[in-house]
Amino acid sequence: CGFAMRGAVSFPFKSIYVGFGDSSPLGGELKRNIRANGQTVITSSANDAEVILDVLTENREKVILSLNSQGRVREYNLVYTFKFRVRDKTGKEFLEPTEIVLKRNITFNESQVLAKEAEEAVLYRDMQTDLVQQILRRLAVLNMS
Amino acid sequence: QTAATEQTTAPATPATPVAPLAPALAKKAKESIPEVKLIGSNKPVDRDADKDAPTIIESESMSGRPERIANFDDHVEIQKGGMTIKADRATYRNLEDEVDASGNMSLQRYGDCYTGDSARMQMDAGLGHIENPIYKLVKNNAQGHANSIDFLSREHSVINQGTYSTCEGLSPDWYLKSDTLNLDTGLDSGVAKKATVYFKDVPILFAPSLSFPLSGARQSGLLPPTFGASSKGGIEFGLPYYYNIAPNRDLTIFPKFIARRGLQLGVEGRYLGETYSGETSVEGLLHDQQTNTDRWSIASVHKQKLLPNVDFSWDINAASDDDYPSDFSRSITKTAQRLLLREADLVYYGSIWSLGLRVSNYQVLQDLAAPITRPYDRLPQLNFHAEQRDLMGFDWAVDSSLTRFWHPSMVRGDRTVLNPQLSYPIINPGWFITPKVSLHATNYHLENPDPGQPTDLNRVLPTLSIDSGMVFERKANFFGRDLTQTLEPRLFYVRTPYKDQSLFPNFDSATADFNFAQIFSENRFTGSDRIGDSNQITAALISRFIEASGEERLRLAVGQRFYFNTQRVTLPDAAASQSRSDLLLSADGKISKTLSADAALQLSQTDRQSVRANYGLRWQPETGKVLNAEYRFQRDTLEQLDISAQWPLAKRWYGVARSNYSILDKRLVEGVAGFEYRQDCWAFRVIIQRFATATLQSTSAFSFQLELNGLGKFGLGSNPIDVLKKNISGYQSAD
Repeated sequence: CGFAMRGAVSFPFKSIYVGFGDSSPLGGELKRNIRANGQTVITSSANDAEVILDVLTENREKVILSLNSQGRVREYNLVYTFKFRVRDKTGKEFLEPTEIVLKRNITFNESQVLAKEAEEAVLYRDMQTDLVQQILRRLAVLNMS
Repeated sequence: QTAATEQTTAPATPATPVAPLAPALAKKAKESIPEVKLIGSNKPVDRDADKDAPTIIESESMSGRPERIANFDDHVEIQKGGMTIKADRATYRNLEDEVDASGNMSLQRYGDCYTGDSARMQMDAGLGHIENPIYKLVKNNAQGHANSIDFLSREHSVINQGTYSTCEGLSPDWYLKSDTLNLDTGLDSGVAKKATVYFKDVPILFAPSLSFPLSGARQSGLLPPTFGASSKGGIEFGLPYYYNIAPNRDLTIFPKFIARRGLQLGVEGRYLGETYSGETSVEGLLHDQQTNTDRWSIASVHKQKLLPNVDFSWDINAASDDDYPSDFSRSITKTAQRLLLREADLVYYGSIWSLGLRVSNYQVLQDLAAPITRPYDRLPQLNFHAEQRDLMGFDWAVDSSLTRFWHPSMVRGDRTVLNPQLSYPIINPGWFITPKVSLHATNYHLENPDPGQPTDLNRVLPTLSIDSGMVFERKANFFGRDLTQTLEPRLFYVRTPYKDQSLFPNFDSATADFNFAQIFSENRFTGSDRIGDSNQITAALISRFIEASGEERLRLAVGQRFYFNTQRVTLPDAAASQSRSDLLLSADGKISKTLSADAALQLSQTDRQSVRANYGLRWQPETGKVLNAEYRFQRDTLEQLDISAQWPLAKRWYGVARSNYSILDKRLVEGVAGFEYRQDCWAFRVIIQRFATATLQSTSAFSFQLELNGLGKFGLGSNPIDVLKKNISGYQSAD
């Protein structure tokens, strides 16, 4: 039915600087995935890179989704907002500021608060993986002209 | 915040030029009267160069001695630097560089315009005095009239017995009338003494002193008072004071008189530094007349980088009693919280590892009709995590924790967990296989074991897993757009042997929600007290529709777990195991530019019933218009219909509403209805709210807010804008 196995994806740039802090888990996973591609260099300085990924917002928020009839939280919505843009060192933009918002629902019960803490971490990791894939897809189709 | 946005979005109206002389007349004047140039040269007009700027005077006729005193008549125009005076008559004293002007006097001063009966202006320093002026200021787009205005310096002026408004026109919708109004553009502040605020010519507020920022920036001073009434406290009156200590520090003090309870005092401080930031608020009431007790609450967060690789943080919350939030808070985010966290955290990290020390404890605000089991305190918890990727193709990680769990009534003890993991991911563009082995080693030392329970418990369990998937792609056409459609099958196998854990305590474990993140994890429990025995395979199929830009438009997913063995490890009071797991179905994405939908369904294969379901629809045809509808279901726990909308009702009228109705209890969990009316220089908002706070208890709240642009927000209760943002997903302020 027209489906073919995905071939190698190459980025339309030779080198990239990824503007995350050293301890950022999202940055770590993104760099790993870019490196796995094998053809793109991740530079340690913005000046040496053909393109620069600027992180504009990276925000995690926990919003009450539903309350039970006693007014207690029974579901939270975890919202992971990431906004970035891609430019070169002269400021020319290849990708205008783009926002990706991911959401996951998590049930809540006061008596399980410690367990829910760990579960939240699992959901954020899942969103992080998802986010990395979405960023990679945008990078793969950058218009470099 | 809204005020600031309005000011930035409203284009600053340029100063209306004073009625210009007919060009022909002006030309004639220039021909008939020689220019009087007194000092300086022809420098460009510049506010800072006024001293050296020439004074240029034009008029129909002139008498007197130009070097001492000169009298000018008919269409007099005197200009120096950024100041221009036009009048019927004027006297110019050369020595003082001073002008007395009268008769149809108008003054343009650094962009601001004044018209009045007469003025005396010192041209050099820009000081002076105007009688009976009507004025219009560039900054803040404000205008009004006064008995007189004194210009004390270039930046500081005093409006005596005058009015002030940011509305256009002769009969403004609102204005401030004051004995004196000190405007200081240097300090960016306006201070009105003996001020009365009129709205539609009705006095709505009197204040001995009222200050406001001219450009909407933060500034110390009394904030507009709040008035109100609530079912729990009676009439309320508050007078907040804002103290802008430094650009990165501020303090708000909010005394509030609550008729039936007494005087409540609140203080909130915020600070931000290069390596630290934080926020603390404390509020309290000595001797509540209703309960005859002292009532208080504290919330404090702080983050600090102690050393380049050492972070410290705390999050401390406390309340005097179980009912404090429901008695004093008008925000459901506070009343819905019945666990108040107190936690301090110290993290030391290296390039591939981190070491964390944490102490945590929860205050439980009990609802006697539905008591909550108190969570364990962690006094303390020491965490170690290390990981490295792609070390000769291998990824490894180690998680370890050492925790002392404390509880006043349940079993207490120390737990040590060591969890090393090793995997070998084989990743290709079109497929991947990741075999992984891990070990879970746990030791318990219990302080007060239950009868029959040993003091020391040990568990070592290995886990093997294989994760694999493929990605297929094709070009697809979806609603007339060319998209890439993917098809991503994934298989995940897990094997963990069984060990009887029925004697193990449960400190921090629970059965995880069944969702797409969970079906690909090795353990069906979260926390470390239960390691589920498993011999199971998870199958999932995901299909994405991706735009040419790389944006994910739609995602469809289906997943199921198959068990080869009966699951035997359970938590106390947990349900019996199932031979086949629940089926997961989900779909979410944008159907069109304005319509998006999401659906998630968890179906039990054992009894063919839904366990959990979510169906949502959002229609956002344009900015300021949004309609959300959502149905949420959790078997035996929750069944709700949640509808919310923001919609313009008529010109300048906006309506917002939310109804979160529990079908299970046939009760409104939360209802909000609000209206907003916006004019150019003010906005009025009304919010009616009703929400459940405890078993068979609800709080109704009424709040309104009148926002006078450039002056402040007058109202009661929680900020309606915050209520709207929280309640209506996709809410956008109308401007």
